[in-house]
Amino acid sequence: MAYDKPLPNPDENTQPFFDGLKDHKLLLQYFPSADHYQYPYSDRCYKDWSTDWEWRESAGNGEVYTWVRMHQLYHPSWKAEIPYTLAVVQLDEGPRMQTNLVNVPVEDIHVGLRVKVVFEDVTDEYTLPKFEPA
Amino acid sequence: MSDPIRGQTAICGLGITEMGKVYGHDASWFAGESIRLAVEDAGLDKDDIDGLLVNPGITGMMGTGISIPLQGYLGLRNLRLLNHMNSFGATASAMVQYAAMAVHHGMANYVACIFSDAPLQQGGSAGAAYGGAGRRGPSGMASLMPAFGFYGANTSYALAARRYMERYGITNNDLGRVSVTQRRYAVDNPHATMRQPLTLEDYHNSRWIVEPFHLLDCCLVSNGAVCTIVTTAERARDLKSSPAYLWGMGQGHPGNFPHAEVEVGTTSGATIAGETAYKMAGVGPEDVDICEFYDCYTYTVLRTIEDYGLAKPGEAIGLYPEDPADPEAELPTINTGGGQLSSYYMWGMTPISEGVIQARGSGGDRQIEKNDVVLCSGNGGTLDTHGTLILSPNAN
Repeated sequence: MAYDKPLPNPDENTQPFFDGLKDHKLLLQYFPSADHYQYPYSDRCYKDWSTDWEWRESAGNGEVYTWVRMHQLYHPSWKAEIPYTLAVVQLDEGPRMQTNLVNVPVEDIHVGLRVKVVFEDVTDEYTLPKFEPA
Repeated sequence: MSDPIRGQTAICGLGITEMGKVYGHDASWFAGESIRLAVEDAGLDKDDIDGLLVNPGITGMMGTGISIPLQGYLGLRNLRLLNHMNSFGATASAMVQYAAMAVHHGMANYVACIFSDAPLQQGGSAGAAYGGAGRRGPSGMASLMPAFGFYGANTSYALAARRYMERYGITNNDLGRVSVTQRRYAVDNPHATMRQPLTLEDYHNSRWIVEPFHLLDCCLVSNGAVCTIVTTAERARDLKSSPAYLWGMGQGHPGNFPHAEVEVGTTSGATIAGETAYKMAGVGPEDVDICEFYDCYTYTVLRTIEDYGLAKPGEAIGLYPEDPADPEAELPTINTGGGQLSSYYMWGMTPISEGVIQARGSGGDRQIEKNDVVLCSGNGGTLDTHGTLILSPNAN
């Protein structure tokens, strides 16, 4: 069956990030002057207001900062998944990102669980960065 | 040392419209009802109102909320102060604060602060108003949210709650104790939407929304409006209704920084806002008689209690009885009208409106006897913004 869940909608600024996902790379913005990784995208470092930055590949390692099980249906395409697991992952580089946890039984999920990124090619065009136990 | 503004200003009028599933009216209409009721409550005339501060709720984001044109709709022709304000759930506190400073310094005499919202439509679900699923999809990295299945404020707060619960060993039954406690107060609140008594069993049987939140962990969505009129203590003394004097005010806005350097969702701005307000009022946590806390979720109440120094981290639940449905159980004097969970969801005006009622001693069957210091909180974003008011029936 065709993938019918909401798909990413890159804009000009974030296209390289989504292209990176397609190549199975998790890219983060790195601002050298503050030695700071930032996510999600911003054109300015919130630490020192620098606008000088580059994309750097994350090692994709981190831990579960927090997690929930979604039972409420907001979009019909999620009907078969409910309840599904949503998580915030603390990347070792510093930023936290919202994501899904996969390949883990619910009873094993807890704050602090070490995880690593796994790339899910949901369509020919788009790939989502999800996380599984390290 | 308290601040010279302590007790120099007051809320002199309160207007609470019919609340909840009240259909057929827009946010302006509710705003009109609330100011009419507040002016009548204060014993003022329409033309006395010379300040207007407005805060739309979710309808402000849907394009149908109240804003500056409300002045024309209400025919307020004597305004010396006017603004549309937004720091989300902290706005109501902030409106009262700026109004108090303005009247104290003679910029205006009677400032009407209005929150109004009308997101509920006949036949539509409450969640639809706040879930955001019906809105145009986001672009850029924000588009990952629906792609991962993240929707609505329920999710953000459930994420914060989970981290808190795992850290301190707080259970769903504990959250249920907050929910059931507040419902007991709502039973005695004629303004409240949900007045059927609840048990812990009812709580556990209510459906999951975003685990760890059951339906009964989440606030209502309401149509309605609340207006408070702020004036000087001197003017307030001679008016029709008892004033709720403003002893302390404060704000604290930690924001939301998704980075390891900043703990998010498990701390609120109450720590900073509370410290400022306590200092202005010349009181401390040990002096607080009644709390009216922004309670978008049960978790928010526990977090807020601790951030105001009323319990140690992880120990707020100790203020609640094991079984609050037990008629013998002594309830904490927190959210004494049922709060947003059980009475009505008027963002930051829910706690302030009940705070004024308690400070006036007009709470009827739910009135708390000792009401000298009433602590009210406003909270917005996912614990990103915060406002504090300390009210009292006494000027000094």
